[in-house]
Amino acid sequence: MISALNGALDDIFRAMKLRRVWIALAHEDIGDQHRRTTLGPLWLLVNYLAFAGTFIFVFQPAGKDAAGYSAYVAIGLMVWFYLMEVISLSVPLFKREESFIEGTTLPLFVYVMRLTVQSAIRAGYAVAGCVIILLISGPALTPAWLWSLAGLLLILVTTPALITVFAFTGAFFPDSEFIVGNLMRVGMFFTPVFWVYNGRDAIQTYAYLWNPFSYFLDVARIPILIGEFPSNAFAVTGTAALVMWAIALLLLGRYRRQVVFLI
Amino acid sequence: MVSIKLDNVSLVYKLHEKLTLSAPDRRLGGTGGRIEGSGRKQFVQALDGVSFELKAGDRLGLVGPNGAGKTTLLKVLYGIYEPSGGSIAIEGKVDALFNINIGFRREATGRRNIVLRGLINGWSEAEIEEKMEDIIAFSELGDFIDLPFKAYSQGMAARLAFSVATALDPEILLMDEWIGAGDASFQEKAKRRMDELAEKAGIIILASHSESLIQSVCTKRLTLKGGRVESLTTEPAKRAEAVLASS
Repeated sequence: MISALNGALDDIFRAMKLRRVWIALAHEDIGDQHRRTTLGPLWLLVNYLAFAGTFIFVFQPAGKDAAGYSAYVAIGLMVWFYLMEVISLSVPLFKREESFIEGTTLPLFVYVMRLTVQSAIRAGYAVAGCVIILLISGPALTPAWLWSLAGLLLILVTTPALITVFAFTGAFFPDSEFIVGNLMRVGMFFTPVFWVYNGRDAIQTYAYLWNPFSYFLDVARIPILIGEFPSNAFAVTGTAALVMWAIALLLLGRYRRQVVFLI
Repeated sequence: MVSIKLDNVSLVYKLHEKLTLSAPDRRLGGTGGRIEGSGRKQFVQALDGVSFELKAGDRLGLVGPNGAGKTTLLKVLYGIYEPSGGSIAIEGKVDALFNINIGFRREATGRRNIVLRGLINGWSEAEIEEKMEDIIAFSELGDFIDLPFKAYSQGMAARLAFSVATALDPEILLMDEWIGAGDASFQEKAKRRMDELAEKAGIIILASHSESLIQSVCTKRLTLKGGRVESLTTEPAKRAEAVLASS
């Protein structure tokens, strides 16, 4: 166990020293995806606003809750899209990086951080879109928003662990790419992204209370919408982060040398 | 002092029967060697008791049939595969040229790719800046250097890859069938650079099926078969004499 932990930490520290590599590659990835388009990466902002606008337009309740619902959906979609993208792209990560893994001695965590930065850059456009909707829909700016920022940082800190765990899952279990992809698509309907938990519907109650993603959304959403520190959501998200990091370190320490034979 | 010493190096890895919903797929991966065991306990003996020693100026040609373990041995020397047994002692900075496209992005220009490849190799920004014009000049890409990599022919890509790989005078250079992609004049130029490299107390290990390439470049020959060393010989005296004469 100790040697596995040391191996994982060694891989992570070596990757951190090579941060110029994963930052440069992540920027290239984003640039490549939007090369030759007129709007470039601004399409990410357009995509987000189109989705959020559609959800708000279709599902917005009539009456006094309308403005609050816009903010609710804007924050929920921003976090959900980030998580969905991170998890879906993580599963085939090592297969996608096959030529690098088989041809260079870069630490595995370089690829994890490459995807982390790539996802964070994309999320930056969604954050910009979310801020636009928040300014229009008008929830009061309070110091509690800082808790929302802390929640987003917690999700960001959890990201490399999530990527590592799902990347190893994909390496050992190739079908998981499609299983996870489908689960994440279906998961949107079982997560309070656009529906509001009211405590009356049994299925909604299970979907809300037993779905860890609900708490990932709440750490960013509750401080802005209600102005309170969501202690329960932070506790669950923090615990999930610790568990994911523990599993990620174990996998990285024990199996990082095996990945080259698995892909 | 640049040197490589392998003592009874072996590489054995388990054939992971992947969890899959489809029919069982036992991957061999990219390594050669022999499959041993049966049922769920199958192993690939990719290298078995490989021992040799190289010193400054040596140019080793790795030969053998497909699956003999040539590429595997190169990857063990580079640190991609961790040996299962034996010991490896390497003195000197190792660089490798396995696949000309590794680290190169199709959409980026040649110039940008030099920067990216330099970063992957662990060079500082100052080193990249310092070597940039030399790399461009040696690759003979001219104005193409500012065009996307995807516009390059295979030969142009190989020229850029070789120029980058040898730009910082690696003390040990590992190559796998790289040279066939360049045109005749560039191959000649590349051979001269390899000569210079070897003269600067470097070691070159080249895996190839090309007998003429091995004869013209290498001073030693290691023949592998089924992951084992079949023979380790010195190449014909005329090559060794040529090296001595040039040093």
